[in-house]
Amino acid sequence: MTQKHDVDMVAMSIIDSTMTAVCREMGIVLMKTSYSTIFNEALDFTCALASPQGEMIAQAEYCPSMIGGVPLLVRSCVKEIPLDTLEPGDVICHNDPYRGGLHCPEHTLIKPVFVDDELMGFAMTIGHLQEIGGMVPGAFAGEATEIFHEGIRVPPVKIKSRGEDVEEVWKLLLANVRTPRYNYGDLRALIAGVDVGERGLAKLIRKYGKEQFRRNVLDLMDYSESRMRAEIGAIADGVYRFQDQVEDDGIESKPYDIKVAVHIQGDEVVIDYSGTSPQALGPINATLGVSYSAAYNGILQVTDETIPKNSGCFRPIRVVSPPGTLLNVDYPGPEVGGNTETHCKIAGAVIGALSPAIPDRTMAAEGATHTNFVFGGTDEESGEAFVCYAIELSGWGGRSFADGNDATDSINGNCRVVPVEVFETRFPFRTESYILVQDSGGAGLNRGGLSTQRTLKSLDTEIMGSQMSDRHRNRPWGLHGGQPGGLAGTWHQQANSTSWHMIDEAFGKASPSKWSNVRIRPGDSIRFQTPGGGGWGDPRERPREQVIEDVAEGYISADSARENYGLDGAAEAAE
Amino acid sequence: MADYLVGIDVGGTFTDFVSYNSETRAVDVWKILSTPHDPNEGILGGLGRFDAPSDIRNIRLGTTVATNAILERKGARVAYVTTEGFRDIPFIQRGNRRSHYDITWIKPKPLVKRRHCYEVNERIMSDGTVHVPLDEDGVRAIARAIREDGSIEAVALNFLFSYVTPDHERRAKEILEEELPDIPVSISYDVLPKWKEYERASTTIADAYVKPVVNRQVANLRERFKESGVTDQAVVIKSNGGEMTLEAAQRTPIQMTVSGPTGGVIAGKHVAKLSGISHLVTLDMGGTSTDTSTIVGGQENFTTDYEVEFGVPIQIPMIDIRTIGAGGGSIAWIDKGGMLRVGPESAGANPGPACYGSGGERPAVTDANLLLGRINPENFLGGEMALDMAAAEKAIASVAGPLGRTVEETALAIVQIANNNMVGALRSVLIERGLDPRDFALLAFGGAGPLHAADLMNDAGIPSGVIPNYPGQFSAFGFILTDARVDVQRTVQMTSKRFDQARASEVMNALIETGIAELKAQGYVKNIEIYRSLEMRYLGQNYELEIPVAFDSFTDETTPKVWQAFHDMHLARFGFNIPREVIEVITVKATVVSLTEKPDLATIGKAEGGPEPVATRSVVFDDGRHDTPIYDRAGLRDGHAITGPAVIEEPVSVTVLRPGQPMKVDQYGNLLIGRIAEES
Repeated sequence: MTQKHDVDMVAMSIIDSTMTAVCREMGIVLMKTSYSTIFNEALDFTCALASPQGEMIAQAEYCPSMIGGVPLLVRSCVKEIPLDTLEPGDVICHNDPYRGGLHCPEHTLIKPVFVDDELMGFAMTIGHLQEIGGMVPGAFAGEATEIFHEGIRVPPVKIKSRGEDVEEVWKLLLANVRTPRYNYGDLRALIAGVDVGERGLAKLIRKYGKEQFRRNVLDLMDYSESRMRAEIGAIADGVYRFQDQVEDDGIESKPYDIKVAVHIQGDEVVIDYSGTSPQALGPINATLGVSYSAAYNGILQVTDETIPKNSGCFRPIRVVSPPGTLLNVDYPGPEVGGNTETHCKIAGAVIGALSPAIPDRTMAAEGATHTNFVFGGTDEESGEAFVCYAIELSGWGGRSFADGNDATDSINGNCRVVPVEVFETRFPFRTESYILVQDSGGAGLNRGGLSTQRTLKSLDTEIMGSQMSDRHRNRPWGLHGGQPGGLAGTWHQQANSTSWHMIDEAFGKASPSKWSNVRIRPGDSIRFQTPGGGGWGDPRERPREQVIEDVAEGYISADSARENYGLDGAAEAAE
Repeated sequence: MADYLVGIDVGGTFTDFVSYNSETRAVDVWKILSTPHDPNEGILGGLGRFDAPSDIRNIRLGTTVATNAILERKGARVAYVTTEGFRDIPFIQRGNRRSHYDITWIKPKPLVKRRHCYEVNERIMSDGTVHVPLDEDGVRAIARAIREDGSIEAVALNFLFSYVTPDHERRAKEILEEELPDIPVSISYDVLPKWKEYERASTTIADAYVKPVVNRQVANLRERFKESGVTDQAVVIKSNGGEMTLEAAQRTPIQMTVSGPTGGVIAGKHVAKLSGISHLVTLDMGGTSTDTSTIVGGQENFTTDYEVEFGVPIQIPMIDIRTIGAGGGSIAWIDKGGMLRVGPESAGANPGPACYGSGGERPAVTDANLLLGRINPENFLGGEMALDMAAAEKAIASVAGPLGRTVEETALAIVQIANNNMVGALRSVLIERGLDPRDFALLAFGGAGPLHAADLMNDAGIPSGVIPNYPGQFSAFGFILTDARVDVQRTVQMTSKRFDQARASEVMNALIETGIAELKAQGYVKNIEIYRSLEMRYLGQNYELEIPVAFDSFTDETTPKVWQAFHDMHLARFGFNIPREVIEVITVKATVVSLTEKPDLATIGKAEGGPEPVATRSVVFDDGRHDTPIYDRAGLRDGHAITGPAVIEEPVSVTVLRPGQPMKVDQYGNLLIGRIAEES
């Protein structure tokens, strides 16, 4: 690669690592002060710094689904709140998917950073508020058919002006949600985060001076761009195609195709979604922000992870997404699941498409669902409403060099599962068991990761529950001869009964994976199983000692060892 | 007869020794190569320096045996026993990954096999009520299975919600010990009585995993002490910086996971006290890594948030020491985009930096310091190792070329980038707690710490710096200054709205009694100090702030002060508070310390006349080349003052002063730099 000698590679390295450290500090404040478990245990948030032009200049690694959305978010905000009306101490709040957002629960807080009265950039925090009003407690209405069902929409508004709370905005926000005390705490945490970011960025700019900072940031983005071009350039030119499905939309029992054509052309890539199904009635649609984010995510997963993450990375990546489709929804279509269920399938399809070209950097399908379960009720003692957004882990796909990881979050999140002891302290359920599911990893030379299964029993409070999930009908795909991973499932058991029923049968729902407002009575049980990862390569080529060890450890059954892996004799002995 | 106190720090490369002669008040330091195949051999070898081993009164030992057993996966075969329905918790873990965009990541395996995990029918609820009583026959059946397996060396026991009610764990332990008298049993309530079942499982399994290894090594050490006539008055340093007897170490080995690095913090605390410094940030920079920690208001900071590797938490009370992979051996390299980077890869001790002349060809931070004139090639490790300037130059030229810079510019850039990495670590220990660097002094030690201290003060905005005596053996020095310390805690769950003052007082007093009894059992009964605190948060938050409590019982008068202190600290730490919000009390904590007798450190003589440089050398600083006077630290006396540029050499380290930076020597021989030098 040619070296530009006028670029100060040393100062650039220092500025990049300092900005990343500032973003991490923002995240620590968010984690430590926020109220919702989806925030502080699951870490479903992102912290970033942006230029006045809306380009992302640094981020800290918390939730990957959000970073691709940053440029669009800033541009949408400043379209409605002109730059010259911003003042020191202002904080903008925003969540509207039809104004650059990813889905309504994700609230973006943006604070302008001024140095000597000059706007030098923005500090941003994006966090998932677990309750935002709408037709179900917890926002994931599996049966929503309009964005208005999904909760309050917040166009860019100042929540703080010159350092003071804008009381009218706070009142409006908190009057439209079921858990105002929690939302207040979470919004305060998001604001504390941008405060940290603003101070950190301003300090850095003062140290290096505005001119050098500006020049270095531009150089830094050029640098990331050139690294990304080198990575793409190393992939053989061609058109690589792949497709996956979202199994249904919660309203009708029919699948929706996601089609991906990855055009590698020299050091650029065009990701074309043409041929994807028209937009759905139900909430599985992706906004343009989600579709961009997912394309970026797929490419970032298969390229060098040490490239500094800023808008420069995205310059060689173009996305074609026809409007009115599953991957570019038209107003006012519902879209809350697009960000959690559809994003990971798009990114997975990009990775799957490129597998023939760069096998060692790809993997078979991961579960590609967060098994989102949201519920709410009223605490009998305090009379206060509670709402919870719980995610589950699924199996990752096998790779050319290793098995898929068991029980890991999907690639569009990096969330932690909430501990049983935290969950039961907060919410009126008893967890009966939480296990890895035997044989759920797709068989392969390198097998898929195992999925999980959790069984909850409702205690003394009536609960209203909803789910947004997938892969209850379509198994996660294998690659290079590997078998698909195990299916997900949700079952219900009535109090005093011993029989389990699929949730769609028990409550007459159109979809087993996407449903709204199921009444869970005291003593009822509910069971969530997640999908396993797809396998990689022919399972009959898996070394025999590994198959025997898997049986001994209970990851696969003796039956599966015999049928899928062709193990003779030794299987029973190992069990 | 002489009477020695000896501190020993067993590290990866060197085992450091510090002795204090309580008659002459003389301190002596030495180091020998470590003997990783048998660490006890190095310990005994180093003690060979004493003519009469019986002159040693007390030995205090910092050791990495527990950590190494985990990192190298060379611990015991463990059986894990848990609540029915939950044997997979150690395998499921938390589900997040180390890095976002790396699908090649491989999830860490726990320290236990799944086929050695057993479930017991029992269940306690979050409020402590028993939903299913303990199935004692089931526990006996597990004991039989373990006996029949024949390969299990230790048992880890972890039941859900045992931190609320430990009865089931305790009873199950009794049964297992009855049935399996030769197998040690670790229970989670003893190891980590706190919520979050995976973190507690991981810590308890780790305790069981290292127990047989530590037992063997400690038993062997005691045997060899006895054979060679060394005192049996030996103690091990815990991760909380307190000491415990060898017997106690065998019972709870996980307590010594972060044993060695605590010495530097303890020693730093002592230096701070002697020098009248209230706020200190310590920086221990060695060859491959740098440790940082803080002392605020004369007290070290503690944490239970620690992972021995990504995804493997070990949450025991420990001094909050952050480690980054940057040191003198960190390698500079050009990444694919042409950007100069330093670390995390290290040249280590072998081959080491290029200038060691042991075959290293890639440039390390030490090579850059040599080229800038900051290190004397003739006087490295007290002259024991001559450094190869030409090799260093060649190595740095290999990155200077692609960078389009001169070798000297590149060397300076390498030091600047390494410094920036360390500034990040310093900031993380300060900013996370809302501490302002401007209120701190930087205490730098380790072989490379004094070399970088002046630059780091400048880059991190820390106005004062201290270079202590024996910077190369400072951790071992700390070990002759430790106290016996027990941290005890219990999860309660109460809110400010309904705060049961009688119960809170009762729990606090019970904890203090436990701590005192534990120290007494180890023979510590004198000079007892007690510290109390509550961990709390706003109702709904998930992370607590620790609020010190200065009184014995909670009353209508004292309790409101605790709430106010929480609001105040939340504001100070996070920039906001919520004044009318309900506060949730999660944990009651007590620390009981038995102060030990401290060495009475000798002062150095008063200066007569100015300090005399022993040489002059050309040294490169940020603003260019300076003819720089070189001083021998051994020749400096109380009251000597030097203004940079200057270089002060001693056998295992070098202190560099930036142009214009003032330095003054105090009565103990510490080098005070910056504002503290001007004020003293």
